[in-house]
Amino acid sequence: MPQKSLFISDLHLQEKRPDLTAALISFLARNRGQADALYILGDLFELWVGDDLNSTLADSVASHLKAFAASGAKVYLMHGNRDFLIGTVFAARCGASLIHEPYLLRTPRGQICLLHGDILCTDDIEYQQFRTLVRSQAWQQEFLSKPLDQRLAFADQARAQSRESTATKSNSIMDVNENAVREFITANAAPIILHGHTHRPAVHQIGPAESDTPSQRIVLGDWDENGWYVEISPDGIMLESFAIETS
Amino acid sequence: MIVLNTNYGPITVELDFENAPKSAENFLNYAREGFYNGTIFHRVINDFMIQGGGFESGLTQKETGETIENEADNGIPNLTGTLAMARTAVPHSATSQFFINVGDNHFLNHSSKTDQGWGYAVFGKVAEGMEVVNKIKQVETGSMGGHQDVPVTEVIIETVDIQEG
Repeated sequence: MPQKSLFISDLHLQEKRPDLTAALISFLARNRGQADALYILGDLFELWVGDDLNSTLADSVASHLKAFAASGAKVYLMHGNRDFLIGTVFAARCGASLIHEPYLLRTPRGQICLLHGDILCTDDIEYQQFRTLVRSQAWQQEFLSKPLDQRLAFADQARAQSRESTATKSNSIMDVNENAVREFITANAAPIILHGHTHRPAVHQIGPAESDTPSQRIVLGDWDENGWYVEISPDGIMLESFAIETS
Repeated sequence: MIVLNTNYGPITVELDFENAPKSAENFLNYAREGFYNGTIFHRVINDFMIQGGGFESGLTQKETGETIENEADNGIPNLTGTLAMARTAVPHSATSQFFINVGDNHFLNHSSKTDQGWGYAVFGKVAEGMEVVNKIKQVETGSMGGHQDVPVTEVIIETVDIQEG
């Protein structure tokens, strides 16, 4: 039995980037039988307005994830800021379990706190207010009860607004807030935080604050010209990337 | 019919001149001039597709002819056993490389006449030798020369036979 867990995030799969879907299929094929768990830490899709929207893209992704799960790996799906409306119906089609952040994972390397990452960007107050709204059960119930065309129109508008506002926000506001990171580490007794969202792949060493235990914050990259993943095995924790082929 | 004689066995493909005349003619021309002899399937991803027609043994890229028009708007879906033109991110950029779908890859279908939605043109199908394709799709692959899914042991199109009529 392999003792390897894989972590990916921010693939932003969308119809106009078949190369990214192909890269995921290739990634799954390469790791079939090699890993015992795959954690997808949010933004698997660029957009998700409900499990009832049928798309050939979603069908393809679901069937390949399901085949991967059937090969003996557990597949876990966490919501991102773009696909937080993925529900249990789609998760079941993927043979995956939905997990919610902060998700604590016990490993031989200590407890790891899994997040999408947007929750750590507390300097972006405007975004956090939006996040609180759209993550509320009441908002989601109301939204999902709207007809599909209205949901898609809202999503288009939200994306356009997000593009506009991120263009004027400073880089530092859109990165994580160090205090928020320390709070998560302390509150969850997890010396390692693993997340995506910021598209700034890196392994950060965090100096001791109140405790003497040094901590790490590992950030997954988004899939674009390169794909990114973290692998945890008895050999350690590694952040890796590979080139995404376009033809 | 065109027979691709690989080191795993023969794959007979039937070209669809009716729905994808330019791609079919293009493939036939490369086959006729012997271009595919000695080329390899350099990208093999199980349950997705096997791609070849552009590299020689040792992963040496071959010089190709002009790019052709993308005929994916013929609406033929990328289903298991179909033959389609490979290309770069630019829709009308296919030359000699092709792939055989070994899964129902609906996400590769044409959806709109835009850079994003052109999809991949299906221009034929495997008429015989799907068992050979199914052997090839399962070969062990690894990273080589910047490519991720290269068969560890080469899968070679040794010769090509053209059966006219």
